[in-house]
Amino acid sequence: MSEINLARMLSHGPLLERLLAGEFVCAVSDESAFRQLQDDSLREALDAYLRPLNRRLASNDEGSVYFLAWRQVDDAAREQLSRQLNDTVNHLLPLLEWLQLVQEALGRDAVLAPGDVLKPGELQARSEDNPSLRERIERLATDSFFGSQSEQLDAQVKQVFKRLKEHGYLLQPHSDRQVYRVTGKIDYLIDWVRFIRDEEQLPIDTQGEASQETLL
Amino acid sequence: MSQLNDAQNAPLESRLLTTGVERLALIGRHADVLMQGYTQDEVPLEGLSSNALRKLLAARLLWRPDEHSGVKLTPKMRELIADMVADESRRQVNADVADTLEQIRTQVASYRESSQLGDYWQQEQQLLRLRQTVDDLNGRFADAIDSLWQRLNSDFGFVSRLNDKVRENERAQKQVVRLLDGLALIDFDELIDLVGSDGTLRKLLISQLQQQLSQHFTSLREVQSRLTELMARFRRMQARSRLVSGMAAFLREHPGFTPGNYARRSEVPELCNRAAPLSAAGSAALDHHHDMALLGSLLKNLPSVTHSPEVTAAAGPTVMAESAMVAARQQALKQDVENFYLHVVDSSADEPLSALAYLQASELTWPEEIWLYQVIAEFQGLGQHEQQAFDWQPKESKASPFNDVRLIHDVALRFAGIA
Repeated sequence: MSEINLARMLSHGPLLERLLAGEFVCAVSDESAFRQLQDDSLREALDAYLRPLNRRLASNDEGSVYFLAWRQVDDAAREQLSRQLNDTVNHLLPLLEWLQLVQEALGRDAVLAPGDVLKPGELQARSEDNPSLRERIERLATDSFFGSQSEQLDAQVKQVFKRLKEHGYLLQPHSDRQVYRVTGKIDYLIDWVRFIRDEEQLPIDTQGEASQETLL
Repeated sequence: MSQLNDAQNAPLESRLLTTGVERLALIGRHADVLMQGYTQDEVPLEGLSSNALRKLLAARLLWRPDEHSGVKLTPKMRELIADMVADESRRQVNADVADTLEQIRTQVASYRESSQLGDYWQQEQQLLRLRQTVDDLNGRFADAIDSLWQRLNSDFGFVSRLNDKVRENERAQKQVVRLLDGLALIDFDELIDLVGSDGTLRKLLISQLQQQLSQHFTSLREVQSRLTELMARFRRMQARSRLVSGMAAFLREHPGFTPGNYARRSEVPELCNRAAPLSAAGSAALDHHHDMALLGSLLKNLPSVTHSPEVTAAAGPTVMAESAMVAARQQALKQDVENFYLHVVDSSADEPLSALAYLQASELTWPEEIWLYQVIAEFQGLGQHEQQAFDWQPKESKASPFNDVRLIHDVALRFAGIA
C-alpha cells in the first residue's frame, strides 16, 4: 500500500511543491491538478505523504480551491496563524475596494469570479476620461497593500495587478501579454468575508442594499 | 357536386390569394416605417401617404387606439417582428391551448358532417384546416420553447443588469408553467374518442400530435430545470455582490475594526488554518557517483565571466580591502549601488538609466571607475534569471584600433520586468 502510494506521489511532485510553497490550486491555476484532486484516494495519499510535515490538504466549502493546512495546530502554528489572520484583515478593505472598482469600471453584473479575464489596459482606458475612477485607482494603488509610488495611472494600474498576481488572486498566462485571469483564491477571500460577517455578527444584510444602509 | 363546389369556390379562393399577396407586399414596401413603429411608441406618419396609411390600417398591420392617439403597430404585427428578429425581451410566449382544442373539436365535427354528406371537397378543406390548426398548435409550442432556449443560452444577455436578469428569469419560469399547464389540457383519451375509427384523423390527432407534444413536454422540463439552476446562480451572484459592498462599507465606517483571534480558539476554524509556506530546497551533492558527470557538464556550461580587464585592474584596491574602515567604505559603496538598482527597478522610464549620470545626480563622492566596477560586480552577482530582468547596455570601445581590449565608459540599465 505505502509503496503504491509512493509510486503515485512521484508524478505529483510539482503539485506537492506548489502546495508546500503555500500556493492555492484551483481550476484556473492548474486545471489538470485540480481535476486530479477531485479523487478521494489521491487526496488521502497526499495527506499520508504530508503527515510528517504536519500538514494536510484542505479546501474551501465549495471545493473550488485546495491549499495546505496544519495537521496539528501547535503553539508555533497558532502564532503563525494569528499573524496571517492579522494580514488578512488588514488587506481586506483594499481588496474589496478593488473588486468593487473593477466591477463598476468594467460595468460588470457581478463580483469577479474565478476564470474571469481582466486586462489592465481596459481598466486604464476606462479610467482615463473618468476623474472619479482615476482618483479611486490612485487612492487604492497608493494604499500600503498595493504600495505604488508612481503618479502615473499606467504605473499604478500595473502595480495593482502585479501585487494581485503576487498574492495569487490573478494569474498571467503569458508573461509578455497583459491579460490576467482571476483564480479560485478569490472564492477563498469571499469565504473569509462571509465568515467574519457571521462570526462577528456584523450588521451586513444579505437581503438588500437599502436595508443595509439603514443599519449602518 | 364536388365539381360544382370547385367552380363556386374558385373565385373566392383567388380573391383571398390576391388580397393576401397584396397585403403581405405592404409589409415589404413599408418595412422602414413599420420597424420605426416597432422601436418607438408610435408609427411616424411623415413620408406615409394617406392612401398607404389607409391600406396599412385596412390590412390590420396598424391601428389607431382612439381618435386622439397616434397610429401604432397591431399586436400581431409587433409579435411577428419580435419573432422574426428573435427579440427576446418582447417575444410573446403563448400557446392558447384551450381555444385551439375548441377549434379542433369544431373542425372534427364539420369534417365528420361533410364525410357523412359525401361532400369530399368540403371534407378535404376541413382536413386541411384541421391540419393547419394542429401545425399551429405544434408551432406555437416549438416557438415558445425556442424563445426560452434563446434566452437561456444567452444568460438573458438582452438585459444587462443582474436584477433585470433575475426578473426575466422569473418571467420565463412563469411562462414555462403556463405552457406546461397548456399541455396538461390536452387529453388524449378525449381525442381518441373524438377521432373514433377514422384512420386519417387518428394519425393526425393521436400518433403525430402525441409524439410532438411529448417532445415539447421533455424540452419544457429541461428548460425549467435549467432556468432554476441559472436562477440559483444569479442569486449567488447577487448575494456575493451584496456581501462585498456590505463588508467594504462596514470596514470604511469602522476603520479600527478587529475581529476575534480565531487562531487562539481551541478549535481553529477550517478557513483560518493555512499552513506556513515551506520551500523544498536542494543543493548540488557529490556523494552519488553518477551525478558527477551531470554536475561537471553543468559547471562547464556556466556562462563564462567576461568583463574588461581594464576595470578589474582599476578596481583592485576595493577588492583587497581588509581593514575595518575599508570594509565599512566597501559596505557603503555596495549600499549606494543597491540603491541605484532599486532606483532603476522603481523607475518606470523607458530610457535606460546611466550609472554615471545617477552618480552625479545623487551627489555621491565615489570615483567613477570604482562606482562602475561596483555596478558591474553587483550585476554579475545576480542570478541569471534576475540578470535577464535588466536591459544591460554597456558603453564601451576598443582600447585602440590594434588592441582589442575593451574599455567601459559607462553602463546604462533599464528594468525590463521579470519574465
